[in-house]
Amino acid sequence: MNTLWIMPALGCYAVSAALFVFDRAQGRTRESGYAVGMLGAGAVFHAFDLTARGFQAGNIPVANFAEALSFLAWLTALAGMVLIVRSRMTVIGAFVSPAVTLALGVSAMTMNGGRLELPAPLRSVWLPIHVTLAILGYTMFVLAASVSIVYLALESRLKSKRALGAAGDDAPSLEKLDRINYRLLGWGFMMLSLAIVSGAIWADATWGHFWSWEPKEFWSLVIWILYAGLLESRLTVGWRGRRAAALTIVLFTVLVGSFVGVNLIFPGKHGGSFG
Amino acid sequence: MDQTLFVVGVNHRTAPVAVRERLAFSEDEIVGALARLRAAAPTVNEAALISTCNRVEVVGVSSDPARAIAETLNFFATDRNVEPGAFSNAVYSYTARDAARHMFRVGASLDSMVVGEPQILGQLKLAYAQAAVARTVGMVLHRAFHKAFTVAKRVRKGTLIGHGAVSVSSAAVSLAGQIFDKLSDKTVMLMGAGKMAELTARQLKTLGIESLLITSRTFDRAVRLARELGGTAVPYDSYKPYLKMVDVLIGSVASNKPVLMAEELETVIRERRYRPMFLIDMGVPRNFDERLNAMQNVYLYDIDDLGAVVQRSIGDRKREAEKAEQIVEIELESFLKWHAGLDLTPTIKDIRYSIERLRDVELGRHRGWLAQLEPAQRERVESLTRGLTNKLLHRILSGLKQRDDETLDAAFAAEVARRLMGAELDARDAEIEDPDGEIDDVDADLDESENDDGSPGA
Repeated sequence: MNTLWIMPALGCYAVSAALFVFDRAQGRTRESGYAVGMLGAGAVFHAFDLTARGFQAGNIPVANFAEALSFLAWLTALAGMVLIVRSRMTVIGAFVSPAVTLALGVSAMTMNGGRLELPAPLRSVWLPIHVTLAILGYTMFVLAASVSIVYLALESRLKSKRALGAAGDDAPSLEKLDRINYRLLGWGFMMLSLAIVSGAIWADATWGHFWSWEPKEFWSLVIWILYAGLLESRLTVGWRGRRAAALTIVLFTVLVGSFVGVNLIFPGKHGGSFG
Repeated sequence: MDQTLFVVGVNHRTAPVAVRERLAFSEDEIVGALARLRAAAPTVNEAALISTCNRVEVVGVSSDPARAIAETLNFFATDRNVEPGAFSNAVYSYTARDAARHMFRVGASLDSMVVGEPQILGQLKLAYAQAAVARTVGMVLHRAFHKAFTVAKRVRKGTLIGHGAVSVSSAAVSLAGQIFDKLSDKTVMLMGAGKMAELTARQLKTLGIESLLITSRTFDRAVRLARELGGTAVPYDSYKPYLKMVDVLIGSVASNKPVLMAEELETVIRERRYRPMFLIDMGVPRNFDERLNAMQNVYLYDIDDLGAVVQRSIGDRKREAEKAEQIVEIELESFLKWHAGLDLTPTIKDIRYSIERLRDVELGRHRGWLAQLEPAQRERVESLTRGLTNKLLHRILSGLKQRDDETLDAAFAAEVARRLMGAELDARDAEIEDPDGEIDDVDADLDESENDDGSPGA
């Protein structure tokens, strides 16, 4: 269920998104500082919402798809802020803030009213570890895809000779975008691996087997292999730049498909069915 | 009392360099020149001298700007030893609002040869500092300069006027910055002997490129340039093995057909593991196969591509300049408002009027017994009151005018005068607005209030 914090959180995120997009459209960064601030304010309200629901559940609030999406949105907001500030690339905000707003909006609308009881086998210390790792991994892939979009836009401008004589205030270079994309993919891949391992250990402790080929597990493995391939191609052949950025976006759409699909269409242990 | 701003000089638009160079002052001549200007032009109260490659102008303050401008021009002629006819038709001069606008536009780099170039602000600051040393800056110039700096800052922050490469070599450098994150760990190779290519290599060098390879058909030239720029010369017939370490390749070889074909670079790209490569083709005919641009992570720009980037930047700057002009106008209004406020004349008139008026009223009230006096005695009463009011006036007015160093806000002075002398001024204003109106009633009020004080005539 939604708490009273959800509207202020959504509002801040939306304002942040509007400011980032407005700045981008004007080709400047004048409002970006406020946009980052609004993103942070949204994350604070959002944290109250998560905490309130977490107390009710007695664990981290990820009992169904809406809650998982909300948690993903929150981590993306935080990680996005870190990325924007550390890399000084406010252009990323024009993707992160709208994505966070959309995700939380969808989450708030699909959140059903009843209070969710976690089934006994899931009430474990492994739940926050496993879920946080998995969602952090997804967060990295969201950011990597955002960076890749920026990369492709700049690359196509340079290739087609539409480049500007002026790089904007915080305009990142292709090299920097490519490097950040690679790092984000690396982190995401590591989180995803740890999530799978922790999930397997937890499953073994609870049900006595590491792996049961349920839809979520199957798709996670597929995604893990795809991202492994993407990282591998860079390390061996040196695929970087446009090809890497395009593949990052393709893999991200597969990821979104599996996240939505597995949770809504083939709910297993991971889906919304244990509510 | 009227302190009018004026500007007089020549710039890149009105005078060719042959004229500008004859009028120019070197940096260390300026303080002395200002002292000479002060001596030669008595109507110039404040002055600063701006002398750059593109302009020589005096910004000054005078109560007689027309004469001040003429005196300044004479000074230019005698001090620079140039016959007035040689530059008189290139001279522009502005006064008051136009002078302030000109000064703000100069500071905001709107009057520059390359609109938006950043050096002019530093030059203006230098001119201000030198005038301060020469002690030719007064209140008005002080304020005008600071306003010009504010305008420049607002324009820099609020517009993109300084953005964009406006030369072919800087366009190449800007593009390198959009492809590569940092240049210090990159390798540049310069092929051939073109001037523009060399300039680009020089600019990249100043931006931190450490590894520079130079190859040229005449090896001696490559060696000479390598020594000068701090690079390594590579023989022209064996440069190709080096290509795999080159991130930026600048071509300006005189050749009828391309010196680098797409097929040749294919293996190089793979060996480089697809690390980006920026090819700058400054040769005419072109040095690099145009199919190279289609290769993975290779960016090829020829001289026309770079020219197009420059054209776009210039277009962008022109658009931004329009925004900058609006900022200038807004700040101009605020400066003129301040400047108008400097003028104490109306306030002084008000005070004088009020005091005279008080005396008239007072004498009028005692008309009765004054008429009974001997003419000589009456004369003495008149002169006593006149002396008193004049002493009072003198004290107030000289107090107001003692403000050479500090900024006494004339609006504040006017406000104080209005409070002290309100009754008289209101009465006068009412009279102006409504000549046959209530002036007598006000006088009656005035008499009553005087009576309340227990004045001697009661």
